[in-house]
Amino acid sequence: MAGNIICGPEFSAFFGTTIMPFVAYAAIITATLIALAFMVGRAINNPKVSLWAKTEIIQLGISLGAIFIITTVVNTFCVIDVREVATIFGLPDPGSHNIYDAAKDFLKGAALYSHNAVSVVRYHLQAYTVLAYLNAFICDFSTGNIGWGCLFGYGGENQQPLGGYGVQTAALNIAFNSALISHFTSLNFIFILLFVYRGFVFLFLPLGIFLRAMPYLRGLGSLFISLAMAFLIVYPFMLSVFYLMKDTLFDGTDYTPMPIGMGSYDESVFPDAENGAEQFFAVSTLGEGYVKDRYFGSDKENPTGALAFAANAFIVAVFFPTIALIATIASVTYVARLFGEEIDLSRITQLV
Amino acid sequence: MKKLLLALMLVPLAFAAWESTAAIAIVLSATLVGILYAVGFGFGVNELQLTAKEEFFQLIAMMVMMVTLVGANGLIDSISRNDAFAQGSNTMQEAAGAIVDSNKAALVGVFDTLSAFDMKVSKEASKAAQCSFMGIGYSISGCGGFSMLSTPLSMGGGIAGFAIGELSAMRKLLDISSAYALNFILPLGILMRTFKVTRGAGGFLIALAISMHILLPAGIIFNEMLGVTFKNDAAAWADYSAGATASIPDCNAADVSSGYVGLGEEMTDNEKAAIDGYNSLRTDIRAYIYEALIRATLGPVLSLLMMMAGIRAIASIAGADVDISPIARFV
Repeated sequence: MAGNIICGPEFSAFFGTTIMPFVAYAAIITATLIALAFMVGRAINNPKVSLWAKTEIIQLGISLGAIFIITTVVNTFCVIDVREVATIFGLPDPGSHNIYDAAKDFLKGAALYSHNAVSVVRYHLQAYTVLAYLNAFICDFSTGNIGWGCLFGYGGENQQPLGGYGVQTAALNIAFNSALISHFTSLNFIFILLFVYRGFVFLFLPLGIFLRAMPYLRGLGSLFISLAMAFLIVYPFMLSVFYLMKDTLFDGTDYTPMPIGMGSYDESVFPDAENGAEQFFAVSTLGEGYVKDRYFGSDKENPTGALAFAANAFIVAVFFPTIALIATIASVTYVARLFGEEIDLSRITQLV
Repeated sequence: MKKLLLALMLVPLAFAAWESTAAIAIVLSATLVGILYAVGFGFGVNELQLTAKEEFFQLIAMMVMMVTLVGANGLIDSISRNDAFAQGSNTMQEAAGAIVDSNKAALVGVFDTLSAFDMKVSKEASKAAQCSFMGIGYSISGCGGFSMLSTPLSMGGGIAGFAIGELSAMRKLLDISSAYALNFILPLGILMRTFKVTRGAGGFLIALAISMHILLPAGIIFNEMLGVTFKNDAAAWADYSAGATASIPDCNAADVSSGYVGLGEEMTDNEKAAIDGYNSLRTDIRAYIYEALIRATLGPVLSLLMMMAGIRAIASIAGADVDISPIARFV
């Protein structure tokens, strides 16, 4: 998906036929304006205007140099294989991907991992709710499940035999909220990545070239080129670095921590209108143990495991992608300094 | 300057593995700096020459960092293996992992105990006696008093569950740190710091690696040491060391007999049983505080704060002024 956008023929066509012509137009227009300013400066014998033109032609060269660097790095990232990077650092084989694919796959993995956490926590919450609200009527003078007290009337005790689980429900509700936030955050980061890949950053390049040479707008132009550089180079690179750590981050290839197995948490087990009658009959004859087994048989009940899963999902889907974004924003500031500008983006990080 | 550039070119000969990659990056950067300086010199552009000189000094700083890292690897390792930190384990990372595992196991025990109480309380509270014959009957919720116990138990479960989550997240961070901090994130940070474009990110990664590897486990161990010091004060510890002794009495839903006087009013047997259960649970609270609040909540917060402060300080040393407030807000 994203990797194809950046490294495939579709991207090459977009870059070659849309962005590069814009960059060329912006460079030519800017160079023309600078040349005109230089000529006017000479014509009216105004050294300030001539000096401005000389300065700006150098800045134009720097801007074009920055775009050359971005283009070269993007092309290099398309051919770098993260498998080889993993070999250099002695890490497990992550499979063959370029940097952009690896970045995308990391966020996809984070989204899948956090979604699995949501599913496991949700299953527990559903099951505990069903079990907690299960009612039983225990007839007086009972022999097994047969209560003689109900033979001629209705004498006995109404109770919820599995009426607890308030402790689990309270804890899992917090975990569920956390896992949901983690999942949404990972989706948000995927959206940012796709938004970057799909071109908005590339439009900053021609704008940056033009604006950097215009009076009073150098800061804005520098910000545009810095943003393009940081989001096209640093952000995917950081995410691809985390992709190389996927064995530990995603707990192997199942995207679930041991001993939780996603196959065990099939939510079709919860009663619906069709099998409700069967459930009631089964409960009245086989007891509450049957219902509990139905949801939590085969050691599926693992509330503390579900809590840990949600916490891990927070680390995977919020903590590490946020670190990538922070590093990217730190780079924006750094790259802007390369262009002689001081840009404070700390307000943006507060949105995270 | 030319001689120093030549010396930088020879750097790869001195290293192996990731060090050689970092050295190649330095040489590449040195070449670019050389080209930049040559262009500046050729066209008489002072800004380019100044930029090239500044980058050159950054390269030298980078070299110093690499040499420091190769030396510091041993230093960090010796800190990790120091007996005071490692506490009987091979490294302080292992010690911190063992502490987190032990805290988590204790807290899972607390969670299970609370859960068992809650099960019992809820079952008793739900009981209601009914009797009808020939269309005439009655229904009594004689155990309604027990329902007052459910809310505090749920709250306790929420706190314990949150603390289990915190400890699990800490364990995950420790696992990641042990697996990648020194052998992957740190060299990668150095590699990235070589180039101007990625210098900020590189400095940040260096800070992240060192903080995760040293300060995160150090915070966990430090908190445990505080706990042990507190435990050594027998008088102070006595109140918190008693195990859980609470019990929830059975309730007979049909029993409406009375005979006890509490709060100035006559109470039924079931009401008294509920209050007895409440009192025994209240006394037990101290048995959970140390595990749930000190070891499982304060400990992670302390170590995360140490890690954040470390990232900020080391990042600024590495030349990356990073705003870490988004991560700090996670605490």
